[in-house]
Amino acid sequence: MTDNCPKCWADLRTPLFCESCDEVLDTQNDSPFRILGMAQGFHLDRMSLRKRLLHLSRHLHPDVHGTADDATRDLAQRKTAELNAAFQILEDDFRRASWLVRSLGGPTEETEPQMPQAFLTEVLEWNEAVEEARTSEPGSTESARLAGLEDELRSERKKLMDGVAAKLTPLPELGSPELVEVRHKLNALRYLDRTLCQLEELRLKQANSPS
Amino acid sequence: MAYSDKVLDHYNNPRNVGALDKSNEDVGTGVVGAPECGDVMKLQIKVEGDRIVDAKFKTFGCGSAIASSSLATEWVKGKTLDEASTIRNTEIVQELSLPPVKIHCSVLAEDAIKAAIADYKKKTDTGTSSSEKVKQEAP
Repeated sequence: MTDNCPKCWADLRTPLFCESCDEVLDTQNDSPFRILGMAQGFHLDRMSLRKRLLHLSRHLHPDVHGTADDATRDLAQRKTAELNAAFQILEDDFRRASWLVRSLGGPTEETEPQMPQAFLTEVLEWNEAVEEARTSEPGSTESARLAGLEDELRSERKKLMDGVAAKLTPLPELGSPELVEVRHKLNALRYLDRTLCQLEELRLKQANSPS
Repeated sequence: MAYSDKVLDHYNNPRNVGALDKSNEDVGTGVVGAPECGDVMKLQIKVEGDRIVDAKFKTFGCGSAIASSSLATEWVKGKTLDEASTIRNTEIVQELSLPPVKIHCSVLAEDAIKAAIADYKKKTDTGTSSSEKVKQEAP
């Protein structure tokens, strides 16, 4: 782990480049928190995250290194991509939580995909409701029921995400069984989000179709 | 990515879509899902003696998931519970020529068969104990 710039020895706040001498660094680091120089945790201040992104992009952007040699330009381009990828993980509650669970040695959705039958049956029912409404007239009882379902899923989503936030604050210890519980909540969120996405799509389509 | 002809065939003409009465004693229901893609699959079997006489499925997911579950219902029909539980996802992969990124769809179908059988055995109870007895008695 590089903590000091190899060129000017200034303390590094990001492994991407030295904010003191502007040297772009070729270090390996896959922690989005370290890359953006944010404290590791579920809660983060969106304003400062955005500020960090803009600040770092300004120094790292390939255009800034337009007159540099090929290798540096190439590196700046790669590091900009890393920065953007890290930002996308941190700005999204789901992706940030999922990254934290994995980095603390918790299960991934591939290693812990199981969900209770009762929950999956519910998911199936949501999907059936969406399918029914897709083939029915706008303004019918089916599509009215969908609005109710959407509200219900949104409040369920909030409850789950609050639960994830609570379990990850403070961060559980490495390999803690609580991480499995968080993964289950994240799995449930996945199904919820997929249905919500379809509901939204359907609502937009029905709003645009002449009735 | 192009789907194989067999996947397209099952996707366009899915076999055994529908539902059996879940509360019925001789019906086993398995619901499984893959959080990575949000696919959900319900597979139901109707059992007489120890033979599966009917099977239905309902899948919300990609073409490969629909084809895998459609094929699974075709395969389990007429088989005994023990025979059906030996169906492997690799056989589904082979039959449908599924690409590596779609292997989880076949795993889902295998899990759905197993879950439906387990549900049936749990309902009837005698199913579990008798098949376990057979296993124990076998040398």
